[in-house]
Amino acid sequence: MFDLVVSGNYAFVWRIVISVACGLAVCWAAAGCGTGQRGEEAEAAADAFVTALAEGDGAAACGLLSPDAAEQLAAEEGKPCEAAVLEQGLPTDSAEETDVWGDRAQVRTGGDVLFLVELAEGWKVVAAGCAPQGERPYECEVEG
Amino acid sequence: MRKALRDNGLSICFGLLFLAALVGQAFAGRADYNDRQLVEGGAPASLVQYVASGDFAVDLAENWQSEYLQFFLYVFATVWLVQRGSPESKLVGKTGTESDEEQKVGRYATEDSPEWARAGGWRTAVFARSLGAVMGALFMLSWLAQSVAGRSAYNADRLAQLQDPLSWTGYVGSADFWNRTLQNWQSEFLAIGTIVVVSVYLRQRGSPESKPVGDPHDTTQDTG
Repeated sequence: MFDLVVSGNYAFVWRIVISVACGLAVCWAAAGCGTGQRGEEAEAAADAFVTALAEGDGAAACGLLSPDAAEQLAAEEGKPCEAAVLEQGLPTDSAEETDVWGDRAQVRTGGDVLFLVELAEGWKVVAAGCAPQGERPYECEVEG
Repeated sequence: MRKALRDNGLSICFGLLFLAALVGQAFAGRADYNDRQLVEGGAPASLVQYVASGDFAVDLAENWQSEYLQFFLYVFATVWLVQRGSPESKLVGKTGTESDEEQKVGRYATEDSPEWARAGGWRTAVFARSLGAVMGALFMLSWLAQSVAGRSAYNADRLAQLQDPLSWTGYVGSADFWNRTLQNWQSEFLAIGTIVVVSVYLRQRGSPESKPVGDPHDTTQDTG
Protein backbone atom coordinates (compact mmCIF):
# COMPACT_ATOMS: atom_id res chain seq x y z
CA MET A 1 0.00 0.00 0.00
CA PHE A 2 2.87 2.34 0.84
CA ASP A 3 4.34 1.81 -2.63
CA LEU A 4 1.01 2.73 -4.13
CA VAL A 5 0.93 5.98 -2.19
CA VAL A 6 4.40 7.14 -3.07
CA SER A 7 4.20 6.01 -6.68
CA GLY A 8 1.22 8.28 -7.19
CA ASN A 9 -1.43 5.56 -7.70
CA TYR A 10 -3.92 6.80 -5.13
CA ALA A 11 -7.01 4.99 -6.45
CA PHE A 12 -6.69 1.94 -4.19
CA VAL A 13 -5.90 4.00 -1.11
CA TRP A 14 -8.74 6.40 -1.82
CA ARG A 15 -11.21 3.52 -2.20
CA ILE A 16 -10.29 2.25 1.28
CA VAL A 17 -10.35 5.71 2.84
CA ILE A 18 -13.71 6.58 1.27
CA SER A 19 -15.25 3.20 2.27
CA VAL A 20 -14.19 3.62 5.91
CA ALA A 21 -15.29 7.28 5.95
CA CYS A 22 -18.71 6.44 4.46
CA GLY A 23 -19.22 3.61 6.99
CA LEU A 24 -18.35 5.91 9.88
CA ALA A 25 -20.48 8.74 8.45
CA VAL A 26 -23.52 6.45 8.38
CA CYS A 27 -22.86 5.39 12.00
CA TRP A 28 -22.37 8.98 13.13
CA ALA A 29 -25.44 10.28 11.27
CA ALA A 30 -27.52 7.58 12.93
CA ALA A 31 -26.03 8.41 16.35
CA GLY A 32 -24.41 5.01 16.55
CA CYS A 33 -24.64 1.85 14.48
CA GLY A 34 -27.84 -0.20 14.71
CA THR A 35 -29.96 2.64 16.14
CA GLY A 36 -33.23 1.28 14.72
CA GLN A 37 -32.85 -2.11 16.34
CA ARG A 38 -31.63 -0.60 19.58
CA GLY A 39 -34.69 1.66 19.64
CA GLU A 40 -36.91 -1.42 19.48
CA GLU A 41 -34.93 -3.05 22.29
CA ALA A 42 -35.23 0.05 24.47
CA GLU A 43 -38.96 0.22 23.81
CA ALA A 44 -39.33 -3.50 24.64
CA ALA A 45 -37.52 -2.92 27.96
CA ALA A 46 -39.82 0.00 28.79
CA ASP A 47 -42.88 -2.08 27.90
CA ALA A 48 -41.63 -4.97 30.06
CA PHE A 49 -41.18 -2.50 32.95
CA VAL A 50 -44.72 -1.06 32.76
CA THR A 51 -46.17 -4.56 32.23
CA ALA A 52 -44.43 -5.76 35.41
CA LEU A 53 -45.89 -2.78 37.29
CA ALA A 54 -49.38 -3.45 35.89
CA GLU A 55 -49.13 -7.09 36.99
CA GLY A 56 -47.86 -6.13 40.44
CA ASP A 57 -44.58 -7.97 39.86
CA GLY A 58 -42.18 -5.78 41.86
CA ALA A 59 -39.25 -8.15 41.45
CA ALA A 60 -39.50 -8.07 37.65
CA ALA A 61 -39.89 -4.28 37.67
CA CYS A 62 -36.82 -3.86 39.88
CA GLY A 63 -34.89 -6.20 37.61
CA LEU A 64 -35.58 -3.76 34.78
CA LEU A 65 -34.33 -0.74 36.77
CA SER A 66 -30.67 0.26 36.55
CA PRO A 67 -28.67 -0.80 39.64
CA ASP A 68 -28.33 2.86 40.70
CA ALA A 69 -32.07 3.55 40.34
CA ALA A 70 -33.05 0.37 42.25
CA GLU A 71 -30.58 1.15 45.03
CA GLN A 72 -31.67 4.78 45.36
CA LEU A 73 -35.36 3.85 45.43
CA ALA A 74 -34.81 1.30 48.19
CA ALA A 75 -32.70 3.77 50.19
CA GLU A 76 -35.23 6.60 49.86
CA GLU A 77 -38.24 4.46 50.78
CA GLY A 78 -36.46 2.44 53.47
CA LYS A 79 -37.77 -0.84 52.10
CA PRO A 80 -36.77 -3.37 49.45
CA CYS A 81 -37.00 -2.15 45.86
CA GLU A 82 -39.54 -4.88 45.03
CA ALA A 83 -42.04 -3.38 47.46
CA ALA A 84 -41.15 0.28 47.00
CA VAL A 85 -41.48 0.31 43.21
CA LEU A 86 -45.12 -0.80 43.38
CA GLU A 87 -46.00 1.99 45.83
CA GLN A 88 -44.90 4.86 43.54
CA GLY A 89 -48.15 4.94 41.56
CA LEU A 90 -46.24 4.85 38.28
CA PRO A 91 -48.35 4.91 35.08
CA THR A 92 -48.59 1.58 33.26
CA ASP A 93 -49.52 2.65 29.72
CA SER A 94 -47.52 1.03 26.94
CA ALA A 95 -44.75 2.70 24.95
CA GLU A 96 -45.72 5.04 22.11
CA GLU A 97 -42.55 6.84 21.03
CA THR A 98 -38.85 6.09 21.47
CA ASP A 99 -35.82 8.30 20.93
CA VAL A 100 -32.33 6.76 21.12
CA TRP A 101 -29.13 8.83 21.34
CA GLY A 102 -25.86 7.05 22.04
CA ASP A 103 -26.41 4.68 24.94
CA ARG A 104 -29.43 6.62 26.22
CA ALA A 105 -33.12 6.42 25.33
CA GLN A 106 -36.29 8.30 26.13
CA VAL A 107 -39.55 6.35 25.86
CA ARG A 108 -42.88 8.16 25.97
CA THR A 109 -45.81 6.03 27.11
CA GLY A 110 -49.45 7.05 27.25
CA GLY A 111 -48.99 8.63 30.68
CA ASP A 112 -45.27 8.80 31.44
CA VAL A 113 -41.81 9.58 30.16
CA LEU A 114 -39.14 6.96 30.91
CA PHE A 115 -35.37 7.38 30.58
CA LEU A 116 -33.22 4.32 29.90
CA VAL A 117 -29.53 3.46 29.66
CA GLU A 118 -27.95 0.60 27.73
CA LEU A 119 -25.80 -1.47 30.08
CA ALA A 120 -23.95 -4.76 29.43
CA GLU A 121 -27.06 -6.69 30.49
CA GLY A 122 -29.37 -4.68 28.19
CA TRP A 123 -31.59 -1.59 28.44
CA LYS A 124 -32.47 -0.55 31.99
CA VAL A 125 -34.82 2.15 33.28
CA VAL A 126 -32.95 4.97 35.04
CA ALA A 127 -35.95 7.24 35.60
CA ALA A 128 -39.73 6.76 35.61
CA GLY A 129 -42.77 8.76 36.64
CA CYS A 130 -41.21 11.87 35.12
CA ALA A 131 -42.84 15.29 34.84
CA PRO A 132 -41.39 18.07 32.61
CA GLN A 133 -40.00 21.21 34.29
CA GLY A 134 -39.58 23.48 31.27
CA GLU A 135 -35.89 23.94 30.45
CA ARG A 136 -34.85 22.15 33.63
CA PRO A 137 -34.50 18.34 33.89
CA TYR A 138 -37.59 16.22 34.39
CA GLU A 139 -38.56 15.51 37.99
CA CYS A 140 -39.05 11.78 38.41
CA GLU A 141 -40.61 9.56 41.05
CA VAL A 142 -37.94 6.93 40.47
CA GLU A 143 -34.47 8.15 39.53
CA GLY A 144 -30.93 6.92 39.84
CA MET B 1 11.39 4.67 -3.92
CA ARG B 2 13.88 6.95 -2.21
CA LYS B 3 13.18 9.70 -4.74
CA ALA B 4 9.44 9.30 -4.23
CA LEU B 5 9.88 9.61 -0.46
CA ARG B 6 12.06 12.70 -0.85
CA ASP B 7 9.73 14.35 -3.35
CA ASN B 8 6.67 13.74 -1.16
CA GLY B 9 8.28 14.13 2.25
CA LEU B 10 6.01 16.92 3.44
CA SER B 11 2.73 15.20 2.56
CA ILE B 12 3.90 11.79 3.83
CA CYS B 13 5.21 13.26 7.09
CA PHE B 14 1.99 15.13 7.83
CA GLY B 15 -0.13 12.18 6.69
CA LEU B 16 1.64 9.94 9.20
CA LEU B 17 1.48 12.57 11.95
CA PHE B 18 -2.26 12.90 11.27
CA LEU B 19 -2.81 9.14 11.57
CA ALA B 20 -0.70 8.88 14.74
CA ALA B 21 -2.55 11.78 16.36
CA LEU B 22 -5.90 10.33 15.26
CA VAL B 23 -5.10 6.98 16.89
CA GLY B 24 -3.91 8.80 20.02
CA GLN B 25 -7.12 10.82 20.09
CA ALA B 26 -9.20 7.62 19.81
CA PHE B 27 -7.46 6.05 22.83
CA ALA B 28 -7.42 9.20 24.97
CA GLY B 29 -10.98 10.11 24.00
CA ARG B 30 -12.24 6.64 24.88
CA ALA B 31 -10.57 6.79 28.30
CA ASP B 32 -12.15 10.20 28.96
CA TYR B 33 -15.55 8.99 27.71
CA ASN B 34 -15.42 5.92 29.95
CA ASP B 35 -14.51 8.07 32.96
CA ARG B 36 -17.66 10.10 32.36
CA GLN B 37 -19.71 6.94 31.84
CA LEU B 38 -18.57 5.74 35.26
CA VAL B 39 -19.85 8.93 36.88
CA GLU B 40 -23.14 8.91 34.97
CA GLY B 41 -23.92 5.22 35.51
CA GLY B 42 -23.41 4.20 31.87
CA ALA B 43 -21.55 1.22 30.44
CA PRO B 44 -17.92 1.62 29.29
CA ALA B 45 -17.42 1.65 25.50
CA SER B 46 -14.99 -0.50 23.53
CA LEU B 47 -12.60 1.30 21.21
CA VAL B 48 -14.73 0.38 18.18
CA GLN B 49 -17.93 1.55 19.89
CA TYR B 50 -16.26 4.83 20.84
CA VAL B 51 -14.87 5.49 17.35
CA ALA B 52 -18.37 4.94 15.90
CA SER B 53 -19.95 7.25 18.49
CA GLY B 54 -21.09 10.85 18.11
CA ASP B 55 -18.67 11.86 20.89
CA PHE B 56 -15.62 10.91 18.82
CA ALA B 57 -17.10 12.25 15.59
CA VAL B 58 -17.93 15.70 16.96
CA ASP B 59 -14.46 16.12 18.48
CA LEU B 60 -13.00 15.23 15.08
CA ALA B 61 -15.33 17.35 12.96
CA GLU B 62 -15.19 20.51 15.07
CA ASN B 63 -11.42 20.66 14.60
CA TRP B 64 -11.53 19.77 10.91
CA GLN B 65 -14.06 22.47 10.07
CA SER B 66 -12.02 25.19 11.72
CA GLU B 67 -8.82 24.12 9.95
CA TYR B 68 -10.53 24.14 6.55
CA LEU B 69 -12.18 27.47 7.37
CA GLN B 70 -8.73 28.83 8.19
CA PHE B 71 -7.33 27.85 4.79
CA PHE B 72 -10.50 28.86 2.93
CA LEU B 73 -10.43 32.35 4.44
CA TYR B 74 -6.69 32.70 4.08
CA VAL B 75 -6.76 31.71 0.40
CA PHE B 76 -9.44 34.34 -0.29
CA ALA B 77 -8.28 37.05 2.11
CA THR B 78 -4.75 37.07 0.69
CA VAL B 79 -6.14 37.92 -2.76
CA TRP B 80 -7.37 41.28 -1.48
CA LEU B 81 -5.55 42.00 1.78
CA VAL B 82 -1.80 42.43 2.20
CA GLN B 83 0.63 42.72 5.09
CA ARG B 84 3.69 44.78 4.32
CA GLY B 85 6.83 42.86 5.23
CA SER B 86 5.19 39.43 5.52
CA PRO B 87 6.28 36.52 3.33
CA GLU B 88 2.69 35.26 3.71
CA SER B 89 1.45 38.29 1.75
CA LYS B 90 1.82 39.37 -1.83
CA LEU B 91 3.21 42.77 -2.76
CA VAL B 92 1.28 45.75 -1.48
CA GLY B 93 0.38 47.05 -4.95
CA LYS B 94 -0.80 43.73 -6.33
CA THR B 95 -4.14 43.26 -4.56
CA GLY B 96 -6.94 41.65 -6.53
CA THR B 97 -7.11 38.73 -8.95
CA GLU B 98 -4.33 40.13 -11.19
CA SER B 99 -4.13 40.09 -14.99
CA ASP B 100 -4.34 36.99 -17.22
CA GLU B 101 -0.72 37.55 -18.16
CA GLU B 102 0.41 37.55 -14.53
CA GLN B 103 -1.72 34.48 -13.84
CA LYS B 104 -0.62 32.66 -17.04
CA VAL B 105 -4.14 31.80 -18.16
CA GLY B 106 -5.81 31.65 -21.60
CA ARG B 107 -3.46 32.88 -24.31
CA TYR B 108 -0.78 33.62 -21.72
CA ALA B 109 -0.66 30.00 -20.57
CA THR B 110 2.63 28.23 -21.09
CA GLU B 111 3.15 24.78 -22.57
CA ASP B 112 3.39 23.16 -19.17
CA SER B 113 0.38 25.03 -17.71
CA PRO B 114 -2.44 22.74 -16.50
CA GLU B 115 -4.94 21.92 -19.26
CA TRP B 116 -7.80 23.86 -17.65
CA ALA B 117 -5.60 26.97 -17.32
CA ARG B 118 -5.06 26.84 -21.09
CA ALA B 119 -8.65 25.97 -22.01
CA GLY B 120 -10.25 29.35 -21.33
CA GLY B 121 -13.99 29.82 -20.71
CA TRP B 122 -15.75 28.16 -17.79
CA ARG B 123 -13.03 25.57 -17.24
CA THR B 124 -10.39 28.20 -16.61
CA ALA B 125 -12.85 30.17 -14.47
CA VAL B 126 -13.54 27.08 -12.32
CA PHE B 127 -9.88 26.05 -12.14
CA ALA B 128 -8.88 29.59 -11.16
CA ARG B 129 -11.10 29.31 -8.07
CA SER B 130 -10.69 25.59 -7.35
CA LEU B 131 -8.37 25.87 -4.34
CA GLY B 132 -10.63 28.19 -2.39
CA ALA B 133 -13.76 26.36 -3.55
CA VAL B 134 -12.52 22.97 -2.38
CA MET B 135 -11.37 24.39 0.96
CA GLY B 136 -14.76 26.09 1.33
CA ALA B 137 -16.61 22.87 0.47
CA LEU B 138 -14.51 20.85 2.93
CA PHE B 139 -15.24 23.47 5.60
CA MET B 140 -18.99 23.32 4.98
CA LEU B 141 -19.03 19.50 4.95
CA SER B 142 -16.99 19.30 8.17
CA TRP B 143 -19.19 21.91 9.83
CA LEU B 144 -22.31 19.99 8.77
CA ALA B 145 -20.74 16.79 10.14
CA GLN B 146 -20.03 18.64 13.40
CA SER B 147 -23.68 19.63 13.67
CA VAL B 148 -24.92 16.07 13.06
CA ALA B 149 -22.41 14.33 15.33
CA GLY B 150 -22.59 17.10 17.93
CA ARG B 151 -26.36 16.73 18.12
CA SER B 152 -25.93 13.00 18.69
CA ALA B 153 -23.41 13.44 21.52
CA TYR B 154 -25.30 16.37 23.06
CA ASN B 155 -28.63 14.55 23.01
CA ALA B 156 -27.08 11.53 24.73
CA ASP B 157 -25.83 13.91 27.46
CA ARG B 158 -29.25 15.56 27.71
CA LEU B 159 -31.01 12.21 28.11
CA ALA B 160 -28.50 11.24 30.81
CA GLN B 161 -29.47 14.47 32.60
CA LEU B 162 -33.20 13.72 32.15
CA GLN B 163 -33.78 16.43 29.54
CA ASP B 164 -35.56 16.22 26.18
CA PRO B 165 -33.33 15.75 23.10
CA LEU B 166 -33.02 18.62 20.60
CA SER B 167 -33.94 18.73 16.91
CA TRP B 168 -31.14 19.47 14.42
CA THR B 169 -32.23 23.10 14.10
CA GLY B 170 -32.52 23.32 17.88
CA TYR B 171 -28.97 22.03 18.23
CA VAL B 172 -27.55 24.36 15.56
CA GLY B 173 -28.97 27.27 17.59
CA SER B 174 -27.65 25.89 20.89
CA ALA B 175 -24.85 27.19 23.07
CA ASP B 176 -23.04 23.83 22.79
CA PHE B 177 -22.81 24.07 18.98
CA TRP B 178 -21.58 27.67 18.97
CA ASN B 179 -19.21 27.18 21.88
CA ARG B 180 -17.56 24.26 20.07
CA THR B 181 -17.50 26.27 16.82
CA LEU B 182 -16.21 29.60 18.10
CA GLN B 183 -13.57 28.19 20.44
CA ASN B 184 -11.99 26.56 17.39
CA TRP B 185 -12.41 29.57 15.12
CA GLN B 186 -10.76 32.01 17.51
CA SER B 187 -7.66 29.83 17.80
CA GLU B 188 -7.33 29.57 14.01
CA PHE B 189 -7.70 33.33 13.53
CA LEU B 190 -5.14 33.94 16.26
CA ALA B 191 -2.66 31.52 14.65
CA ILE B 192 -3.02 33.14 11.21
CA GLY B 193 -2.72 36.65 12.60
CA THR B 194 0.35 35.61 14.59
CA ILE B 195 2.25 34.05 11.66
CA VAL B 196 1.41 37.01 9.38
CA VAL B 197 2.75 39.59 11.85
CA VAL B 198 5.59 37.63 13.45
CA SER B 199 7.01 36.58 10.06
CA VAL B 200 7.63 40.27 9.32
CA TYR B 201 10.26 40.45 12.08
CA LEU B 202 11.43 36.88 12.69
CA ARG B 203 13.15 34.38 10.38
CA GLN B 204 13.47 30.60 10.04
CA ARG B 205 16.47 29.85 7.90
CA GLY B 206 15.53 27.63 4.93
CA SER B 207 11.77 27.73 5.47
CA PRO B 208 9.51 28.94 2.64
CA GLU B 209 7.24 30.27 5.39
CA SER B 210 9.99 32.75 6.27
CA LYS B 211 11.88 35.45 4.42
CA PRO B 212 15.61 34.85 3.86
CA VAL B 213 17.39 35.64 7.14
CA GLY B 214 19.10 38.73 5.77
CA ASP B 215 16.02 40.28 4.16
CA PRO B 216 14.94 43.63 5.62
CA HIS B 217 11.76 43.69 7.69
CA ASP B 218 9.80 45.64 5.07
CA THR B 219 10.44 43.16 2.26
CA THR B 220 7.16 41.50 1.28
CA GLN B 221 6.48 38.27 -0.69
CA ASP B 222 9.92 36.75 -0.61
CA THR B 223 10.53 33.31 0.83
CA GLY B 224 13.56 31.21 1.55
